[in-house]
Amino acid sequence: MKLSTFLQLDLPAMLAALFATLACALIGNFLVLRRQSLMGDAVSHAVLPGIVIAFLIWGSRATWPVFIGAAAAALTAVVLIELVRRYGRLDAGTAMAVVFSIMFAAGVVMMEQAAARNIDLDAECVLYGQLEDIIWLAPTTLASLLDPAVWEELPREVWTLFGAFVFTSVVVTLFWKELKLASFDPALASALGFPAGRIDLALMFVVGIVAVAAFEAVGSILVIAMFICPAASARLLTDRLSTQVAISLVLAAISAIAGYLLAAFGPMWFGHEHSLAASGMIAVVSGVILAVSVVAAPRYGLLARRFRPEAASAGTAAAVRE
Amino acid sequence: MQSAYRRAALRNLAMTAPICSATAAIGEAEVDPHRAIARFAIALALISAFTTLVFGFQAAAYAAGSISNPAAAETKLQAVATTGMIADIVRNVGGERVAVRQLMGEGVDPHLYKATRSDMAAILNADITFFNGLLLEGKMSDALERIGQAGHAVHAVSALLPRDQLLASDDAPGGHADPHVWMDPLAWAKAVAVVSDRLAERDPEGADDYRRNAERYEQKLRDLDRYAEAAIASVPEGRRVLVTAHDAFGYLGRRYGLEVIGIQGLSTESEAGLKRVEEIVHLIATRRIPAVFVESTIPDRSVRALIAGAAARGHAVKIGGELYSDAMGPPGSYEGTYIGMIDHNVTLIARALGGVVPDKGHGGKLAAIVAR
Repeated sequence: MKLSTFLQLDLPAMLAALFATLACALIGNFLVLRRQSLMGDAVSHAVLPGIVIAFLIWGSRATWPVFIGAAAAALTAVVLIELVRRYGRLDAGTAMAVVFSIMFAAGVVMMEQAAARNIDLDAECVLYGQLEDIIWLAPTTLASLLDPAVWEELPREVWTLFGAFVFTSVVVTLFWKELKLASFDPALASALGFPAGRIDLALMFVVGIVAVAAFEAVGSILVIAMFICPAASARLLTDRLSTQVAISLVLAAISAIAGYLLAAFGPMWFGHEHSLAASGMIAVVSGVILAVSVVAAPRYGLLARRFRPEAASAGTAAAVRE
Repeated sequence: MQSAYRRAALRNLAMTAPICSATAAIGEAEVDPHRAIARFAIALALISAFTTLVFGFQAAAYAAGSISNPAAAETKLQAVATTGMIADIVRNVGGERVAVRQLMGEGVDPHLYKATRSDMAAILNADITFFNGLLLEGKMSDALERIGQAGHAVHAVSALLPRDQLLASDDAPGGHADPHVWMDPLAWAKAVAVVSDRLAERDPEGADDYRRNAERYEQKLRDLDRYAEAAIASVPEGRRVLVTAHDAFGYLGRRYGLEVIGIQGLSTESEAGLKRVEEIVHLIATRRIPAVFVESTIPDRSVRALIAGAAARGHAVKIGGELYSDAMGPPGSYEGTYIGMIDHNVTLIARALGGVVPDKGHGGKLAAIVAR
């Protein structure tokens, strides 16, 4: 491997993976708290009708129409999920399951119509990208990284994900108090005069936007895993929300870098010639971190609960205080 | 006071790199009364960071090792080809002068293939890369085109085919052409010309060799074409219908006068609709088609549905055998070459539909065909 290969292939892919995992993990903290972890999966299915409609309107598979269609469908889905949850008197999991399966089914039916017109279209190929396709051909040496013209050619996917991460960070920072209150105790939030319903909806909008931006660049598996795993691991390690968010970001970054390196170079150490799929490996690493946390977390881990049962009950008291 | 600090820490973290967020987490955790949690979090972060570093060094060591690797010092032209059919051309035309790396192996569906990091690295570091084009390589097509535009020698072997010789796969405006051009040996000869021209351009010293090899290979393709023409012509006229899992055989059908019916569409992703299956069953039963075919890269479930459907109408149709559509046979075998693959397909189709063909095909090298 040459340095130029690292700069052209590995650097942009790692940056994309890093921003995608950070954005997803950050917003994922609130999904985990609210028992809506599978929102990412729901959105990944619900975008299908949006893609098909965009294709039928614009007649092309160019990036922007597809992206707009997918984003519109994602936002429709989150609004519908909120409506079903509120007026159908169903829990969040059921609402998600109802909406995404029906929207996905509608997408399949529409796609069969498109297929009758002999159009080659499938969501896998149109919307879901993968890390290995993110290449940055401009840099050749370390010195070239100082040239602004080289940065102008940084792949669009990396900029999109960077934007998604900054956007999420700004939203979470600005509405920290509201998000925290609405996630832990929506009834209290309403009593104190916070518009809990509107906060819910806003959060889901952010989730939809982050999910679509990330699908397009890094594929759906990574996004679904990153909404859940880092936040769930962090939840096992602390009772305090700010600490949980910080830990989840660190774990997400570690999964991204370690997962990418393992996928790209791991097989070579064992004498194999072919790399593995990077998004899959990143998701696996985040899963391993979660498994380690489940077993060995100091307060809520299986080992701790087995040997120090009193610790867990003290933790519950702490959670209530929070 | 403490919560103000916490907010500041979080604001920092939102803007900066993960290193900073690590310090934020640690700094905050220390003021947490639950020391054990803090220590565990730090330990987990440290272990993971350490693992990451080790991976990094390993990668660097691997990198350093492969630079001094004797393979890199090889004098052969390093070529990359996406599908086996293209690699076969490059092997035949390049001969001793070219080392070929083939990305997609036996039984791989190129429509769904996902490039790995080592594939992309091979393309970036190769002297020359050939791909099919016409969107056969799915998502990878974009990346290949971008690498080509950035000045690497990346060429589509379908480049020399005139537009009007391509079969349309879309009725919609802006639709793309059917990419399975290798199914017609004469059209594929144009791909041979692309490979020989581009290799000569990249390595002018070998230009004569490439031209000679290309001529010899094109002659073989013409022989193969004549054999295929005779083989299909031996099938009784009303039975020249090829029913397969997906529409990969359009060019073969056009060249030799076979009516081609694919259960699925062009892309291997879409599911066959019930109505479509019904129509095909009707056609098989009324025209007494003796055999339908399965493909090496696609599950045969929908083809089996046809057989069951035809049986229900009192017409016994059998599976004529497994055709190679998007990938060739096992490497090292005759079917693992382009000529062997087409020979296998044509011989199998002709025999199953009632034509008269030699037992071991055009080259006399076909393995015995195992009925499925």
